[in-house]
Amino acid sequence: MTLDHTRPLFVRLLLLAFLVLVPPVALLAYEALGEFSQGLVPEMDKKAETVGHDLAASVERAVGYGIPLNHLQGMDQFFGPVRAANPEIRYLAVTDRDGHILFLDGIGREVLEAHFAVADFDEGGGRSHKSSIGDFFDLALPLAGKAGSAGHIHVGIDKNYVRGLVNDIIIDLGVVTLVSLLVAVEILLFVVTFNVTGPMRVVAAVIDRVRRGDFSRVCGVTSDDEVGRFVHGFNAAIRLVDELFRRLSAYIDEVKSVHFDPGVVERVTDIESRVRFLFRFARDGQPAIVNEHQATDIRLPLFLFVFAEEISRSFMPMYIRDLYAPIPGLSPEMVTALPIAVFMLFIAVVSPSAALTSARLGSRRVFLMGLVPATVGFFMSALAHNVYDFIVWRSATAIGYALVTMACQGYIAQVSKQGSRAQGLGVYVGAVLTASVCGTGIGGVLAERVGYRATFSIAAVLAIVAGLLIYRLMDARQPEAETHAPRKRQFIGLLRNWRFSALILFAAIPSKMALTGFFFFLVPLTMMAQPRADLGDVARLMMLYPISVVLLSPLASRLADHTGWKAGLVAVGGLIGGAGLVLPVISGETEMIMAGIVLLGISHGLSASPQLAMIPDVCWTECRNIGQTNVLAFLRLAERVGSVVGPLLAAAFIPLYGYTGAIVALGVVVLGMSMVFALLSFAYGSGPHIEAELEE
Amino acid sequence: MSGEMWRIVAPESWTWSSLSYKLTGVASVVVVWGRAPMEGTGALEQTGKSDTGVAPRGLPPPRPIRWSLARKVSLALVAILMCTMVVAAFFAYYKFESVYSSLVQSRYSFVVFTIKKRVEDSLNLGFALRQLRQVQEILEREKLRDPQVVAVEVYGANGEILFDTDRGAIGTRVSDDLVAAIRGGANQAFGALDEDMLIVGLPLVNTLGKIEGGVVLRYPSSYIQRGLGGLLSQLSKTVLEELAVFSVLAVLGLYALFGSVGRKLGSMERTLDAVMSVGGHAVAEVGADNFEEHYAEFIAKSREAMDHIRDATDEVGRLDRLQ
Repeated sequence: MTLDHTRPLFVRLLLLAFLVLVPPVALLAYEALGEFSQGLVPEMDKKAETVGHDLAASVERAVGYGIPLNHLQGMDQFFGPVRAANPEIRYLAVTDRDGHILFLDGIGREVLEAHFAVADFDEGGGRSHKSSIGDFFDLALPLAGKAGSAGHIHVGIDKNYVRGLVNDIIIDLGVVTLVSLLVAVEILLFVVTFNVTGPMRVVAAVIDRVRRGDFSRVCGVTSDDEVGRFVHGFNAAIRLVDELFRRLSAYIDEVKSVHFDPGVVERVTDIESRVRFLFRFARDGQPAIVNEHQATDIRLPLFLFVFAEEISRSFMPMYIRDLYAPIPGLSPEMVTALPIAVFMLFIAVVSPSAALTSARLGSRRVFLMGLVPATVGFFMSALAHNVYDFIVWRSATAIGYALVTMACQGYIAQVSKQGSRAQGLGVYVGAVLTASVCGTGIGGVLAERVGYRATFSIAAVLAIVAGLLIYRLMDARQPEAETHAPRKRQFIGLLRNWRFSALILFAAIPSKMALTGFFFFLVPLTMMAQPRADLGDVARLMMLYPISVVLLSPLASRLADHTGWKAGLVAVGGLIGGAGLVLPVISGETEMIMAGIVLLGISHGLSASPQLAMIPDVCWTECRNIGQTNVLAFLRLAERVGSVVGPLLAAAFIPLYGYTGAIVALGVVVLGMSMVFALLSFAYGSGPHIEAELEE
Repeated sequence: MSGEMWRIVAPESWTWSSLSYKLTGVASVVVVWGRAPMEGTGALEQTGKSDTGVAPRGLPPPRPIRWSLARKVSLALVAILMCTMVVAAFFAYYKFESVYSSLVQSRYSFVVFTIKKRVEDSLNLGFALRQLRQVQEILEREKLRDPQVVAVEVYGANGEILFDTDRGAIGTRVSDDLVAAIRGGANQAFGALDEDMLIVGLPLVNTLGKIEGGVVLRYPSSYIQRGLGGLLSQLSKTVLEELAVFSVLAVLGLYALFGSVGRKLGSMERTLDAVMSVGGHAVAEVGADNFEEHYAEFIAKSREAMDHIRDATDEVGRLDRLQ
């Protein structure tokens, strides 16, 4: 096992985590299903008996009027509504004293005849008689006639109905298991990198120096585990050599200053020069402490923070609707969309200054600063009275979100070497997407059980935990940051590059419009408008988006690198996303919404990485002038226009076309813009575009 | 350099965990970490000579381990397992509660629906609701059929109770919520919670579609709790059992996994200590990775630097004494 590499140890840990987490939940689900089925049977019997008694009373009344049992009319119309109102009842039947079926509704006669012919329904002594027939429980109740028993009425309960009722539990537990595994991945990855591979990487770096004779560095690891002890001994060896050298150095200085024989002094000086030539020691009297910063340092706190934000994703529009208060001049739909749009607006406005603040004050401090408004925002959102104060609290959360995410991006940019920037960005994207899967999935299920407000409180607690992690575990000393901030004129100059402008206007903005307008806003509202849909269903459906992105992103990156067809991938991604949104024109069923979500995930998975990868080629000159990071930051800022417009546009469409129609209308807009980009993409070519520089 | 040869006297048998060899001089020791050197084999190999101008000071005693890696990761994994099981059980329980209570409610809704049908049949004959004396008998019969039913009430559109299985309540008023609930729709069933009673009800509508009043059935919420009680204890037992078993499994697995890491680090640390104290070469195991090979070079370089500085110190001392 390689100690300074995360993967071998992490893979083993992950395997163990899988073995420890999945079987107990599977066992719990299995046992719970058994218990539930058994626990529901008595209640189902009571229900069948209640229904049977009522039907029997009606039939007996008719028989009491002298109508022979086999001459009763309209029994189908009599049974039909009862079965329709009680889906667990699969059939209703009336048999005569000999068990011959006189009336039956729900299933074919052949299923019951053989059993009824030989069954003794009177063995209960005039009470109800329960028996099992294939997939049904048959409850037979006697029908009293003038001359004793006239026959029986049968209520057939579907055995699978109970299983169907509790099957949702399996899906819920599946979501819990998936989320637990992803949380375990994040925590174990953090534990491994923080406690083992991170320190060992520092050791490896110091070893490299010592191998070249450089004893000027020791490792700054102080943990009290095996690694800490090892590093303690490792450092002690370097310090021992350093101390011997200091003694020798002092001795030589003493000899040089007091010895009368110049020959001795010369030879002593030679010795000193020889030692200094062979080995290097710290100039300031003791070895410097090396603390390596890694992108993974920030992954777990970022994961927890984004988890906290994503936890309200599946129910946000419904919560806003519950808090509805009229705003003059705005439709109710627009009021519902407003907090989402304002949230996006604040992120867009605050992000640039957050990035500069992070560069100036350090990521740790800005992360902690951002957590204050974010946590207050989460907590107060839970206590919001109406949409007015909710907008205020969501704005506070947005400010915090911008500060925290910019602090994380800044930290990753600072600690990642030029060659490993993409890897560092991968850490960021990985944490955000994993948190998105977990937060969306568990948030809806949680809100269904404990309510929206309690779920927001949980988000506040998660944000606090993220803050504690940063405060306790992240080094207060931060790596040096690049503080070069380009001027506004340089940014505006970027827009003169038509390829860049087209990328923003016809690819980045519609992509964000689809995300916030369709996914954040319309999907929850449309789904909750469906009969029998609950929050858990919405959450599970919404999980499909980040899952699709997670699965497709690496593939798209490789494809973009391999083929160099970046603009084409962005165009194809945009068209797929737009087409997905137009799909509900076929039908407004859940399946179409689901397909739309998956296609949006595929779209973003395909286009996100190539979109970033295009920048060095499309803005070759600008990247040289103001830096690639700043060009990318401007792209991110500009695309937020789409994030703000998306929900507002969707809300404007709802009164005109309804929920499903609004999805289609938004899809038409997105598809139209994507088509423009698809046409333009042929003019992008490949390789860097240096015209701007030549013109200059 | 004195040029004097040094030798190592090793105990008859020793392992890394009980490393104790007596130094009578400085020699080179080949130290292979990850396995104990064998007595009389080539594990100890004299490869050079050195000087003892300055007696080598060993490394400081190893720092005690307060929180081992296995313990830290066990804590994290067991905490995740515990959270997973508790959340899973919580979701399962509440799902069952929701299914169970909706089943109970649907049964009582059916009872209320039956009563509604009968009362409305009578209303359709043209009688006023308060004139339907047989309704009292219907309500009492339904209550007798199910001991869990606490009360069945029929009230007018103004909220006055007209018939009630608790005859003493006739003439009193139902809560405003129940009066408002019957206005929801002609066939719109409603549910409510009144202290420790659960209520299901339906409006009573005449042939002209006018809401004449409502019928409600009250049953104790403790009935649901009783139905769930057994399940809750069974679920808790299952969770605790599985938590115990899989926690032990997790801890054992982690101790096995991190035990090897700890052992490797421990042997590397002892090797360093031995070479720095006694001298010799550290050689990584066959198949060792880059890190371990570099570590062996680190040890060699550290020892080389120490020897060199000591030799230099000796030489300076010798020159210093030339007076």
